[in-house]
Amino acid sequence: MKKQIFHAILTVALSVLLASLVLIVGVLHGYFQDRVLEELAQSTAYIARGIENEGMAYLESSGFRGSRITWVDRDGTVLYDNREDPAAMEEHADREEIREAMLLGHGTAVRQSTTLAQKTVYYALRLSDGSVLRLAETQYSVWMLVIQALQPVTLVMVLAFCLALWLAERLSARLVEPINAIDLTDPGEELAYEELAPLVGRIRSQNREIRRQVDTLRQRQEEFHAITSHMSEGLLVIDRETRVLSHNEAALRLLGAGEPAEEASVLELNREGGFRRCVEEALAGHRCEELLERGDTCCRVFANPVEQDGALTGAVLILMDVTEKERRETLRREFTANVSHELKTPLTSILGTAEIMENGLVRPEDVSHFAGNIHREAQRLIGLVNDIIKLSRLDEGGPAGQWETVSLRTVAEGVLGQLALAAERKQVSLSQEGDCGPVRGVPQIVEEIIYNLCDNAVAYNCPGGSVTVTLSSGGEGERVTVTDTGIGIPREAQARVFERFYRVDKSHSSGGTGLGLSIVKHGAAYLGARVELESEPEKGSRFTLIFPKST
Amino acid sequence: MRNRFDQQLERLHVELIQMGALCEDAISAAAEALLKGEPSLADAAEEAERELDRQEREVEDLCLKLLLQQQPVARDLRQISAALKMISDLERIGDQAADIAELTRYVRLPEDQRSLHIAEMARAVIRMVTDSVDSFVKKDLDLARAVCAADDRVDALFDQVKSELIGLIAADAACGQQGLDLLMVAKYLERIGDHATNVAEWVEYSITGVHPLND
Repeated sequence: MKKQIFHAILTVALSVLLASLVLIVGVLHGYFQDRVLEELAQSTAYIARGIENEGMAYLESSGFRGSRITWVDRDGTVLYDNREDPAAMEEHADREEIREAMLLGHGTAVRQSTTLAQKTVYYALRLSDGSVLRLAETQYSVWMLVIQALQPVTLVMVLAFCLALWLAERLSARLVEPINAIDLTDPGEELAYEELAPLVGRIRSQNREIRRQVDTLRQRQEEFHAITSHMSEGLLVIDRETRVLSHNEAALRLLGAGEPAEEASVLELNREGGFRRCVEEALAGHRCEELLERGDTCCRVFANPVEQDGALTGAVLILMDVTEKERRETLRREFTANVSHELKTPLTSILGTAEIMENGLVRPEDVSHFAGNIHREAQRLIGLVNDIIKLSRLDEGGPAGQWETVSLRTVAEGVLGQLALAAERKQVSLSQEGDCGPVRGVPQIVEEIIYNLCDNAVAYNCPGGSVTVTLSSGGEGERVTVTDTGIGIPREAQARVFERFYRVDKSHSSGGTGLGLSIVKHGAAYLGARVELESEPEKGSRFTLIFPKST
Repeated sequence: MRNRFDQQLERLHVELIQMGALCEDAISAAAEALLKGEPSLADAAEEAERELDRQEREVEDLCLKLLLQQQPVARDLRQISAALKMISDLERIGDQAADIAELTRYVRLPEDQRSLHIAEMARAVIRMVTDSVDSFVKKDLDLARAVCAADDRVDALFDQVKSELIGLIAADAACGQQGLDLLMVAKYLERIGDHATNVAEWVEYSITGVHPLND
């Protein structure tokens, strides 16, 4: 801007200077020439009168210094000249001014000298005798005047240049200052120049637009972040160079990685073979799925390529924690294997016995013994199948029983009654102590749980031992404690006795299905109760059922 | 220009991580083949080794291209020169893992106590390789120094394994072949530990600009 202003000022200054110079020179030059001619005419008239009166003597006596005076006779011969020798001069009759004077009485002429530097102004007057007197004045030409004026003009030009520079500096600073003072993020209403109004208006509306878009974007991002951060699945978005564009906490947790640096490669988060394969495959444009095992967690990676306008731009990786699923899968497989095995054992026994009988290898008196075997094994099978049904019902969400208020005391009495015969056979004494309030529950399940606990207490007891069912009300709720003086459970097995088909004694000699405590655990969980176990090998076990206080 | 350079540096970083991961695969497959006696894993180790060789050449090309075309200075130069040194160590780790895998085809670990230290050595070496790659990935100076410190322990374990093997051969000359093979395995493991240390040292150099050996 300063430069433009400087140029403008300089141009204006110089053109004014030049124009005035030309004008003044032109006008003045013409004026001076007229004045010279006038003066010449006066002088000529004056000298002419002298000549008329005194003739040649006047010219020779006066000795004019200023102008050149030439007296030409009527035939053109030069009679007198105050600069040159008249005899040496050529005839002057054909000169423009003389011819004019002879014809009209007076004549003028202007002639350039050969160098153009000077010009001569002539004035001629016819005397009464027909001769012509001519005066000539030499004058500088316009060009000469111009050249002479060049020095001062250059000086003025330099001055104008400096002035223009200084003014440009001052003016541009003054002009630009209000423009610079405009706050582009928030231009006010008052403007120094109204010419700027459309521009500022545009900026203002664009600012508003940008702010609105930024707000929208931020809101979108926050929404996206809120969604992804609350996902239990890990989410990773990567570009073609494997840089992480987006990630959530779950992904970092599942990969066991720390917060990645800006634009870090996804391989910095995890570089396990399966994960790498997923990333590579997805970036090659194929779907890929892999199972990652890291310590005791297990996660499944789904990698999908992302395409935009037919070109691969990156990949999305979803990570799912499948630890629980895998664990359940394993449990189910084990359960199936166990069930088959448990079902097969009594069936093999039944089959064998039946075969022997079929082949007539059994003496008639032994038939009842063999049939008893078959009966016992079949009963075991039924018991097993019943237990499995109970368990699977509990798994499915419980049997179709009604929730009622159950008196634990009545249930315990009933159970002990049922077990009295078995206890007597094993020489185990049964007893019941204390009392507690009623609980809410499904009667069949409550009975099942207490029955299983007591049944175990009797079955794994030693001859002469005892089983005590203690009822009490505590701060936490109603408690049923089944204490026995039996063989106890080894410490390392205590955590596992509630598992399906787990037996401390692997020989199956004690009977039972291996599902009793599993039913207890699931039943208690169904009723919202808790089971605690304390046991010492060779001394006995104590199972405590804690029912939450019924409200 | 700078942007392109940055992109290439980033690619170098990713390729190095991949090489490191391949090394981990190779050594853990080889160790598993040794400890569990599954020769099928030996193939995996050898496969990883071939892949490592290929990748080493690729990264080398990339490094040289970067050096010639971009003429990096200061930290960038350090990073690239460290990468050049690191890949040869990584490639050696892969070679030695493949050598161990090859040996596992002939050698069975004796089922008794003696095998414990060589197993421990293998685990320590895997840890070192993982940590050295991790220190590079995370630019973790402390971890890099921890790897250098862990090498002493691997060296001590090597001596222990050696004396155990001497005992084994002395007790039963028929075990000579097996003892020598196991010694080779131990030596390879020890060398892998050294290479992992080198890698960690180059990581330290690329971070601080001072190679620990030149202190």
